[in-house]
Amino acid sequence: MRLPARRLVCYGLGVGNSFALMFGLPGQGMHLRLDALSVLFLCILVPQIVASALAERRGSIAFWVFAGAMVLTLLAGDAFTLIFGFELMSAASWLLVLRGDARPATLYAGMAMFSAACLIPAVFLPAGSLAFMLVLLGAGAKAGLAPLHSWLPRAHPAPPAGVSALMSGGMVKVSLYILIRYAFIEFGAAAQPWWGSVLIAAGAASVLIGALRAMLEVELKTMLACSTVEHAGLIAVGLGIALRAKAMGNLDLASLALQGALLCAVAHGLFKPMLFLGAGAVKKATGTTSLDWLGGLMRGMPRLGMLMLAGAAGMAALPLGPGFAPEFLLLHAVIKAAATGGILARIGFTALLAGLGLSAALALGAVVRLIGIGFLGRPRSLHAAAAGDANRATLAGMGLLAALCVPVALLPGVVLGMMEPVIQLLAPNSAPAPLSYAPLSLFLLLAAAAAAAFFGLRRFAVRGTREVPAWTCGFGSPPAWLPFGDPLTQPSATGFAEPVRRAIARGVLAPQGVDPAEAYLLFPLSQVSLRLTRVAEYIRRSTMRQRLAFVFAALVMFLLALGLSEGG
Amino acid sequence: MNLDYPLAHLMGGVILLCAFSMLSQRRLAAMITLYQVQALTLSAAAFWQGFAQGAGDLYLTGLITLVIKGILLPMGMRQIVQRFNMVRAVETTMPVGFSMILGVGLIGIAVLVVLPTTVSAVSLTREDLAISLSVVLLGLLVMTLRRNAIAQVIGFLSTENGLVLAATGMPGMPFVAELSVALLVLLAFLVIGVFLFRIREHFDTLDLVGIEEIERRGR
Repeated sequence: MRLPARRLVCYGLGVGNSFALMFGLPGQGMHLRLDALSVLFLCILVPQIVASALAERRGSIAFWVFAGAMVLTLLAGDAFTLIFGFELMSAASWLLVLRGDARPATLYAGMAMFSAACLIPAVFLPAGSLAFMLVLLGAGAKAGLAPLHSWLPRAHPAPPAGVSALMSGGMVKVSLYILIRYAFIEFGAAAQPWWGSVLIAAGAASVLIGALRAMLEVELKTMLACSTVEHAGLIAVGLGIALRAKAMGNLDLASLALQGALLCAVAHGLFKPMLFLGAGAVKKATGTTSLDWLGGLMRGMPRLGMLMLAGAAGMAALPLGPGFAPEFLLLHAVIKAAATGGILARIGFTALLAGLGLSAALALGAVVRLIGIGFLGRPRSLHAAAAGDANRATLAGMGLLAALCVPVALLPGVVLGMMEPVIQLLAPNSAPAPLSYAPLSLFLLLAAAAAAAFFGLRRFAVRGTREVPAWTCGFGSPPAWLPFGDPLTQPSATGFAEPVRRAIARGVLAPQGVDPAEAYLLFPLSQVSLRLTRVAEYIRRSTMRQRLAFVFAALVMFLLALGLSEGG
Repeated sequence: MNLDYPLAHLMGGVILLCAFSMLSQRRLAAMITLYQVQALTLSAAAFWQGFAQGAGDLYLTGLITLVIKGILLPMGMRQIVQRFNMVRAVETTMPVGFSMILGVGLIGIAVLVVLPTTVSAVSLTREDLAISLSVVLLGLLVMTLRRNAIAQVIGFLSTENGLVLAATGMPGMPFVAELSVALLVLLAFLVIGVFLFRIREHFDTLDLVGIEEIERRGR
């Protein structure tokens, strides 16, 4: 089953016929093909692979298989190659997770099998609602969309940092790529508005739960994984709005939402691997990633700290950071969508807007906590106090990603212009409004203002020196028996999150702060599986007469069904 | 007046009645007697069908049924009961009323299945088929409910009677099939008889509870 002929796009790399490989299914082979969408996602993927390989994992075969499988998935020209690459990616990443920790690896393997069981039938079904729902379940589970996200904060932090970076930044994008390809291109003609609504609902739930858990988690890498759930949700919201608008014929809104979603994918693919690599360096230097045992790292690891700060600015969607433009576009799209459709849709989009605002605030809180608790203040443990800066390779990998963040942060308009062929491929004949946000000029204005203030101070400030007590980072003066102060008197990560836990988490999370998907989906499922195992064990241990009775009952049931169906 | 159908139905009804009463009998001797009556009626039904259809094969079937199932097998079983001193043995597995309710349900299912699925067939075969399916199901029910090994054997034999009844009512059934089924039953009875003796030697009882206990301990 070949994908339909590629649309003509005037994108330098996107031109060319599909390329047949010499192996694959008999009589069909495997095909590689490059179009604008694949090129975009390859551009997202390749820097992460380079950075992860630069930072660590250069010699691991599984890592290269993992990376190669992701590339193969993006290049796939037919359904078989796509599924082959996707499953190879799952298997290789499972091996890598297993190397870190066995228990999340089992959960991960179960989730990967579930997504395979949904995706494989879906790509061979005729375009329609059933096929779309299966693709959404399969790719969404792999991308960490609620309610199938609960494996992600467990599995992503388990392997070494380079792999975590690639899983969070790359694997999630590859799953979303499959979702985009099928929802917009393959099933595009059969699309219905409610497909988009389902996607928006799943995305909104992931955004909320991801941001909330990122605010509450104490482990650095788990927190980053929760933030990945949030960003996957943001992308899904954008895609959902685009899908809905496209099905309803509103192409301009569709292209606006697509711009937001794709730019969000680009930005997230840059800053999240950077943060994961940084978390790996922190773990190497201090032996822990628990924020409750860190602190004051900015002094010991200044260069890593600055890079982490840059990544954190992206994660919090601060203005002038890489994460701001996508959120700006997404909020615009939501506002625009709220002005269309029926009363229910309007109310829903307004609520979505409130939810996105809340989660943006939560993400900001999470980042403040990450930097404030982990990198500022005083060290909470000897290891944190003795941490030295990360090695050059890690810094080089992170620096590469940070350098690529700069154009995304300061020139989003140019990046969007380069994305134009993708938008045209997904929403043909649309004319998106130009971006009304020019961070470069803002940045220059701010820089000019700062320089003027600096020189003004230099010129007009009072000269002379004055002796004041040293700033103690907000502590009281230390008691005599603790000349350096007791670091544990600082607020801890848990304590910092406590107000949010009391105000919001009690209503949203299940009791004891467990993820609702875990408490209401995974736990009952495991109970059902336990019960089924018991039934199977009971049948296996049954006596001769019971076995006779089982066979007899089956026969009677069959006859009854036959009689009822024939008689009725 | 044509007696073909009424007599065939009457004998089928007697066979079904015997199978049904086996459910209510707790004593082995009574079950064996019921089985014997059932087998004799079956052989009579076979003779009658042979006469009505003008098929010589069916006389042979009736003769085999009469000799093997009507005379030899009940004699063998009575001997086993005598030798194992189980004349007064009583089954206690399930309340009689409940098992009879189940039996009525099974007959209902058989009628429900056969009558609508065979609308196009001749009426004689249809009702005969319903009766024989009921007899098969009731025999299986006896096998399932009873704990005593001999009672299970009787259930098995009764099931086989139901099959032969279906075969005789169906014109054109080859004789070889019936002959081989009859031989199979005889062989099965011999094997089971030997098996019963072995069980008896080991456990001093024919109650399957003994085997189940051993099975459980073996795990």
